[in-house]
Amino acid sequence: MEHVGARREKTENTTGKNTTGKTAVITGATSGIGLAALKELAGLGFRVIGVGRAAKRCAEAEASIRSEMPGARVDYLVADLSSQRQVRDLAAAISRLLETENGGCLDLLVNNAGTVSSWYVTTEDGYEMQFAVNHLAPFLLTRELLPLLNKAGFARVITTSSGSHYNTRMNWRDVMYRRGYNCLLAYKQSKLANVLFTSEFNRRQGPGSRIRAYAVDPGLVNTGIGEKGTNGFVCWFWRIRRQRGVAPEIAARTIIHLATTPGLEDPEAVYWKDCRPKRPSGYSQREDAGRRLWELSERLTS
Amino acid sequence: MLSSMRSFVLITGATGGLGKAFAAECAARGWDLFLTDLSESRLALLAVGLSRLHNVEVKYRACNLADPAAREEFLKSLETAGLQFHFLINNAGLDFEGPFAERTPEELATVVRLNVEATVAITRWVLRLRDQARTFRILNVSSLAGFYPMPVKAVYAASKRFLLQFSLALHCELRGDDITVTALCPAGMPSNPGVIRSINAQGFMGRVTAKNVGFVAAKAIDRALAGRAVYIPGLLNLFLSRLGSLVPSSVAAALINRRWRETSKRCTPSN
Repeated sequence: MEHVGARREKTENTTGKNTTGKTAVITGATSGIGLAALKELAGLGFRVIGVGRAAKRCAEAEASIRSEMPGARVDYLVADLSSQRQVRDLAAAISRLLETENGGCLDLLVNNAGTVSSWYVTTEDGYEMQFAVNHLAPFLLTRELLPLLNKAGFARVITTSSGSHYNTRMNWRDVMYRRGYNCLLAYKQSKLANVLFTSEFNRRQGPGSRIRAYAVDPGLVNTGIGEKGTNGFVCWFWRIRRQRGVAPEIAARTIIHLATTPGLEDPEAVYWKDCRPKRPSGYSQREDAGRRLWELSERLTS
Repeated sequence: MLSSMRSFVLITGATGGLGKAFAAECAARGWDLFLTDLSESRLALLAVGLSRLHNVEVKYRACNLADPAAREEFLKSLETAGLQFHFLINNAGLDFEGPFAERTPEELATVVRLNVEATVAITRWVLRLRDQARTFRILNVSSLAGFYPMPVKAVYAASKRFLLQFSLALHCELRGDDITVTALCPAGMPSNPGVIRSINAQGFMGRVTAKNVGFVAAKAIDRALAGRAVYIPGLLNLFLSRLGSLVPSSVAAALINRRWRETSKRCTPSN
């Protein structure tokens, strides 16, 4: 039990808040913002479950965290979030894991995994890749994990959105951008969907709910997101642009802030950047758009 | 007996990149679908996904169309089920990458059986099951490769040449029977990670000739509905296809041979 004591000490030293024993699930946790947030939370005494697409990268991340932080309680689960089947299997695996540990209680879900695709690529369900991974997967995973989140005293659902959500609207006539696919427009729409989902989630939970959702704008971050599914101009442009971005550890601070600070129940503050609430786009706060996206997402994940 | 009045679009190779795009495009137009491909589980997922998105009926049945016995059983099952069709998309096709001498005889035969034999057999059979009340559309997925002899893709390119000629001939022959036949001749389409890698390996030419499958599928259906004989997506690709008929075949083959050898060097994994 020695490592438990060590962990508690560290927790109190860094934030002064007792987060020991809380549970967190973070998707896209093998690199970038997700990995940085996971390490930070593990250091704060959270029991963390990271999710990644490739088994090899998951094993490497898990091994490196275990060697860096011997006391960390960390597990990785492998899931391709473009597949709704795998999202459901993932939620079931998380439930099984936490059931034996704490009766199936989840304090924090970080929907961080995101993708960029230069081309119109469809998932096994027939949906456009960015819409499926960036929006439908968080929607479905959150819904599947609701029973676990409901067991926490106060649970938080954090979704990594982006400043890309400004100056765009939902392309309702063709949300999959099938005909006139454009990488950037499809990405912007998916990040707008994150904010619409977050706001609609809170509206549906109602005031006084014990689960709150937040959207995080990480700003420009030096990660590989713009290089993985792209080529040519987009890949080249991102390689240049990422140099000006902040380190993932700095971008992860807002997630840590939202995960650990008590008294963030202000219903107006849904969109956060640099540990402060920020005004999201007007469109993202439209109730009709939020409702419409919610109903569409329910239908597409039914 | 309302259900027997419905008429379907038959799409082969439906769970591949272009196949899924065709299925999504047809579903978006409100057409009921009948899908086939090798994997029953992948067909089931796609059928559920598309019917949620577009409120259409999506039927499916798995079949290895390269196997003549399985193919016949599949086609008979369509008839037994009393289905009728107003659109046939012969999309199933495959290639085994690499030089001719390194391919097994079985692999080479499979390319011919699927790309050529299956397309001919299905087209003939489904004509009998056409919805008599509507114009019947056939869309055959040929390729830009159908315009030249292609070293390293010799059997594949020849099979696509077959489909192009077959389509052009049927287009004229069947016109009087209210049937249109359209050949789609795309360049590379970045529809899955493997193809995207291969397009990137071809460098600049790979990227500028590539077109999004969603766009290609939508336009190809437009062209089929307009009764066009051939559709080549992209102006540059159209130019390249015209070049194919101006440059002597032997010269084209030599040029392509050189280009593919450079590409395959770059494509070879380093680890």
